Amino acid sequence: MYQYIVRRLFLTIPVVLGVSIIVFSIIRMLPGDPARALAGVQATPEFIEQTRVRYGLDQPLHIQYGRFMAGLVTGDLGTSTFSRRPVTTEIAERFPRTLTLASISLLIATILGVSAGIVSATKRNSWFDNASMLVALVGVAAPVFWMALMLQLLFSVHLRWLPATGMGSVAHLILPSITLGMASAALMARITRSSMLDVLKQDFITTARSKGLAERIVVYKHALKNALIPVVTVLGLQFGILLGGAVLTETVFAWPGVGRLLVDAILRRDYPVVQGTVMLLAFLFVIINLTVDVIYAFLDPRIHYQGKEEG
Amino acid sequence: MGRTINVWSRLGVWALVSLIAVGTVFAGGGAEEPAEERDTLTIAIGAEPESLDPVNMTSAPAATVSEHVVERMIYMEEDGSLTPMIATSWEANADSTVWTFEIRQGVTFHDGEPLNAAAVKANLDRFIDPEVGAAYAFLLGTVVSIDAIGEHTLQLTLSQPFAPILAHLSHSFIGIVSPAQIEGLGPEDTFDIPIGTGPYRMTEWSRGERITLEVNEDFYGNVPAIPNVVFNFIPESSALLVALETGEADAIMRVPPQDIARLEDDPNLEVVFAESVRTIYIGFNNMREPFNDPLVRRALNHAIDKQAIVDGLFDGVFTVADAPIVPAVFGHASVGPYEYDPERARELLAEAGFPDGLSMTFHHPTGRYLLDATVAEAVQDMLGEVGVEVTLETREWSSYLDFTSQPPDQAEYDAFMLGWGTVTLDADYGLYALLHSRQWNPNGNNRGFYRNERVDALLDEARVETDRVRREELYAEAIQNIWDDSPWIYLYNQGQINANHVDVEGLIHHPLENLSAWDAFFSE
Repeated sequence: MYQYIVRRLFLTIPVVLGVSIIVFSIIRMLPGDPARALAGVQATPEFIEQTRVRYGLDQPLHIQYGRFMAGLVTGDLGTSTFSRRPVTTEIAERFPRTLTLASISLLIATILGVSAGIVSATKRNSWFDNASMLVALVGVAAPVFWMALMLQLLFSVHLRWLPATGMGSVAHLILPSITLGMASAALMARITRSSMLDVLKQDFITTARSKGLAERIVVYKHALKNALIPVVTVLGLQFGILLGGAVLTETVFAWPGVGRLLVDAILRRDYPVVQGTVMLLAFLFVIINLTVDVIYAFLDPRIHYQGKEEG
Repeated sequence: MGRTINVWSRLGVWALVSLIAVGTVFAGGGAEEPAEERDTLTIAIGAEPESLDPVNMTSAPAATVSEHVVERMIYMEEDGSLTPMIATSWEANADSTVWTFEIRQGVTFHDGEPLNAAAVKANLDRFIDPEVGAAYAFLLGTVVSIDAIGEHTLQLTLSQPFAPILAHLSHSFIGIVSPAQIEGLGPEDTFDIPIGTGPYRMTEWSRGERITLEVNEDFYGNVPAIPNVVFNFIPESSALLVALETGEADAIMRVPPQDIARLEDDPNLEVVFAESVRTIYIGFNNMREPFNDPLVRRALNHAIDKQAIVDGLFDGVFTVADAPIVPAVFGHASVGPYEYDPERARELLAEAGFPDGLSMTFHHPTGRYLLDATVAEAVQDMLGEVGVEVTLETREWSSYLDFTSQPPDQAEYDAFMLGWGTVTLDADYGLYALLHSRQWNPNGNNRGFYRNERVDALLDEARVETDRVRREELYAEAIQNIWDDSPWIYLYNQGQINANHVDVEGLIHHPLENLSAWDAFFSE
């Protein structure tokens, strides 16, 4: 198992390298210029030239890339062309906010999704099953933007229960995390339901029932444990998606996280911030994937990684 | 393997991680509950300032926030008149190349440092230092030296007479901060929280979220009535409206025109229409056929029903452009508008050799100016009426700027839409930068490569002429020439649409697109 983890960790290197090359090139391929994006129509040729020199953009691409990678290794992500502050500071201020939002969203999604999935599976074709699967369908299909505005209009403007924008209290978290978590909850409900239905058809469940065990014990003790294996995989991946996908939610609810930082940085052609943020998100995604695989091995004794896990 | 796996405990780990994450954020944050007594005015703005360091400021939001904290030498009133701020009086020598300013006495910065001529000099030196490279250093491009000739007397020496110098000194970005704050800063060093002499001091900047200001009790002028002012950043305009409706914001800026009615229906809210200094225009590429022919350009001006655009899209609150600059600007002369007359447009096109019309590509931004893309579609329709087939192309703002900033041989556009704010309220800033032939891309902002030697000469002369009456005459003649040459389709003067709760009074909706709170108070 440890060898497996170490091997997987080494495999992340080419992935991270690949991402670094892609993000480095794409942001530079976009038309536009950081100085002009900053100073707008009033940007003078002198200012544009000076900005290029200041951020090393006048250097050949391979030198720029070399500097970027050297900085990455030493933890120096450069300086934002927009705010002129260190990129690490910009990210460090905003990342905990995105982490909070994504974590709470995932928690809500898991609780709602898994419980709805279980009930749907055990009471298959009941009104609850039909209703929850319909809601799940809407949850997956509804655009985040629309969902956010509807929630704001209902809970903030009409009912006045919850704040619509900003952060600062637990109440501020509720609408954005529901918005962000809705699609994940729906996905998890559907996966839990189908996985549960699969498991309930298995021989060992029939055996358990024939032993005369109570249905409750059959479902929650024997079936659920096995049914949740695919759910855990999805859950891990969803966490990565939520971290990177909070962009729209963060924008509508004025939640100042890394998603918004990234979008703003792209619009401003703030190369160092774009590079730093994407690298962070890519790295997290890789780590989360690895963690999921490892957890998977723990959960499912049938999965062997080259038979080495016995140690 | 034979281990019993408790799935719920795995899930529990996620829950725990989440809770820890929440805990970390809120332990530092501290919940903000609305106080019983109203002591805070919250203004929601769309974009966050890039910086509040004078040498790094480039945007209107930065100007709006900064003006509360950091003062300039001179203040530009809403009507464009210049009144004392840090400088209490000023005078020029005979040929207007040496300006002497008396600096206000008995004033201290928010950190206790005294305000004197040396402090102002340190700031202005930094602003024009080529090593520092301030984006707006060109505002003081004619300044060759800055000298403190007495404890409270400052002298600026110019390379040549420059009539708009006082207006330029009033620019929001030329702020004077505490000398202690900039002493010892390297050319690339900056700071987050400016220390000025303004009516408010800045206490916190939570990036991405808000800036918090607190009243400066020692302010030399009228101390503001509202103790705290908060600027929240809400990028999404629908969320901006919601924030106003829920009371999370007391005032907002840049209301989308299509939402005016929704806000006006709410008795607690008030929509404020204010003047601005921004003219929206469609520039022709004057080097390109057939737009090098003034007849074609004039024809297209006649083809556009500007009033219909203003009434239909902007609720009639903007005004049709009657010159390349707005009426509030010094030097403005009303010479337009071009009458909406499709017949005349067709005649002119026929006269220019296009009896069957022509086709062209029109580039426009989306989301930069109010309803810009919709205006572009309206223009497309109207030009279609006179036989001009228009293909619309839009680009995201940064690409668009790049695309429209190419030198003449690389400029790949027939026509482009832009808005220009003459923020010094002096015609020089609007006309020289956009229409003088020395300002062709990439040297300046003459993106349509317009050249008229008479106009060049008039604009040059008006720059150095110190007699205001004579300047007005020069600009009037230049504007008439520019109007007849029609290097642009002159569209409309974009105003500001802001909104606030009815119990907030005294807000200043400045034509420079600043919302100022120092005179504001809560009624009832």
